[in-house]
Amino acid sequence: MYRYDEFDHDIVQSRVAQFRDQVQRRLEGAITEDQFKPLRLQNGLYLQLHAYMLRVAIPYGTLNSKQIRQLAMIADKYDRGYGHVTTRQNMQYNWPELTDVPDILQDLADVEMHAFQTSGNCIRNVTSDPYAGATSEEVEDPRPTAELLRQWSTIHPEFAFLPRKFKIAVTASKSDRAVIRAHDIGIEIVRNDAGEVGYHVLVGGGLGRTPIIGVTLRAFLPRVELLPYLEAVMRVYNRYGRRDNKYKARIKILVQETGIEDFKAQVDAEYETLDPAEIAVSDSEVARIAAYFAPPEFEALSDEDAEFDAAYKADASFANWVDTNIATHKAPGYAIVNISLKPLDRAPGDITSDQMRAAGDLADEFSFSELRTTHQQNIVLPHVKKSDLPALFKALAAHKMADANIGLIGDIICCPGMDFCALATARSIPISQAISERFSDPARQRAIGEMQIKISGCINACGHHHVGHIGILGLEKAGVEFYQVKLGGDASETAAVGDVTGPGFSHDELLDGIDRLVDFYMSTREEGERFIDSYRRLGMAPFKEVLYGT
Amino acid sequence: MSAKHKGKGPQALTANHLREGFVVWLTPDMGWSPHFKDALLSEDETVIDQMQAQGDKDDSDNLITGVYFIDVDAETKLPARYRERFRVGGPSYDTAAHIKKHGVR
Repeated sequence: MYRYDEFDHDIVQSRVAQFRDQVQRRLEGAITEDQFKPLRLQNGLYLQLHAYMLRVAIPYGTLNSKQIRQLAMIADKYDRGYGHVTTRQNMQYNWPELTDVPDILQDLADVEMHAFQTSGNCIRNVTSDPYAGATSEEVEDPRPTAELLRQWSTIHPEFAFLPRKFKIAVTASKSDRAVIRAHDIGIEIVRNDAGEVGYHVLVGGGLGRTPIIGVTLRAFLPRVELLPYLEAVMRVYNRYGRRDNKYKARIKILVQETGIEDFKAQVDAEYETLDPAEIAVSDSEVARIAAYFAPPEFEALSDEDAEFDAAYKADASFANWVDTNIATHKAPGYAIVNISLKPLDRAPGDITSDQMRAAGDLADEFSFSELRTTHQQNIVLPHVKKSDLPALFKALAAHKMADANIGLIGDIICCPGMDFCALATARSIPISQAISERFSDPARQRAIGEMQIKISGCINACGHHHVGHIGILGLEKAGVEFYQVKLGGDASETAAVGDVTGPGFSHDELLDGIDRLVDFYMSTREEGERFIDSYRRLGMAPFKEVLYGT
Repeated sequence: MSAKHKGKGPQALTANHLREGFVVWLTPDMGWSPHFKDALLSEDETVIDQMQAQGDKDDSDNLITGVYFIDVDAETKLPARYRERFRVGGPSYDTAAHIKKHGVR
């Protein structure tokens, strides 16, 4: 994985010193809150409903065991013993004190981490496929490209005050595990007919109050043109993005209002004014970055493992966990392990400091010290020998991290909602817990099959409800929470925005409605059909009928 | 500086403590308490003006930040708006409480 060079080191250390001074000046009254707010936001520090909240960047979701142990230490020393994995692969702390934040940033810097650009109208943390470097599906490891974008976008002077925030995701597989079509720019690394590797660039995707699926800007962008071309895109957005209305300021609105063809023409015209050679990085620099992501030295193993097979046959709980949480690795005899952060009694994505330390220890023991965070608010150990899976499962179970529900109805994406967030309109955590409880029978979860429930506590859609198979939006009227439902959303390579079903539901009505939806789907599905497939085949009408019990 | 009072019925003044970030409420002695039960509630415009002045002063003195008035239900003496009930009661679910209850991190 990437290691900081002296430039990264100097930038991060300087930023810590700057922020320490800025905090001191704020406390002394030398700068006002209005002056301080953009400075704290540029360092990921929000003021939420109850307290400050610090969002730590985990670039493209990759971190090592030392880093996750440091995150655990920070949770214990400065917070309340836990962190929260977000839908953009970052880690949030809900209770830091302002006076501690400079020390937290220093502790992060000590392990090559920071909180740059996790807020503000800038290019945010670049996200990617949590299976990067481990899946056989990919054209190449997408993380060198994501790292190149991180270096280009970090403290880029021209893009620090964009019309609105800007999110980029990169993947290199046809299976989209990074929701690239719901990003301001989505990048898919592809190979053209001549066998050259380049970029399929999508633009104008996003969720929030105006959900839009991104469209193709360039079907194939040669590798060397990536940074100059993106520079041109950003300049067009910076110039024409709607600064008059915060709700129309994202690039998706600009693309919609301009039209993709005219937008592309504007980008091309801007591109003509640039000297690509000044912006593009050299092949040697690309190679230098890529070398950091060289795969670990996998042992030459057979994909058949007697120890694994015996455990799989002997232990049903282990077999169930393997069936749901394990993905195919590119190296024979290895597996990609998904660790669920969706136990029944916990908020989705929350992880205690002990669990962080355990994950770090298990990464050391079984996965070349490497971990990933996922936009599904889970953790991945990317490179685990199949023969080690039984021991790993046992260790995870001891730390309450062995839930076998990845991709199932219990694997709910959920924002913090009104329990923590200053913007929320309703709670989301209790609904996620109630749904998990209602469908807690593991056998039933497996029988239902792949199901993505996504819950947001407000229209800003941090819980991705627009692209859930079942999407839930929490609202409130006269002190009573109610929940609107969308059906048919999809966050994958076949991305789609769900259809609004109609009036909202109370907490209890919602649970019963989802129960009826699931029963109907299971009674009507055809061989091999997922919920989303049945919905697409039958349309909304019959599902709506059972949802509302009419 | 605090937003001008525009609410209806009894008012309370809330903010976040600048250094710690935690929610605080203006008390009858013009101090700040983390507990809503200690909050000064008033419909008297003169008192509300005093509350506003104190909020503005303490904001300027870098004691608090994000100061604003909330409506309070005259009967229940609880915040009228749903959102503010969470500022009073804290999160209905917090992993920190779960850790405390079960004694494990």
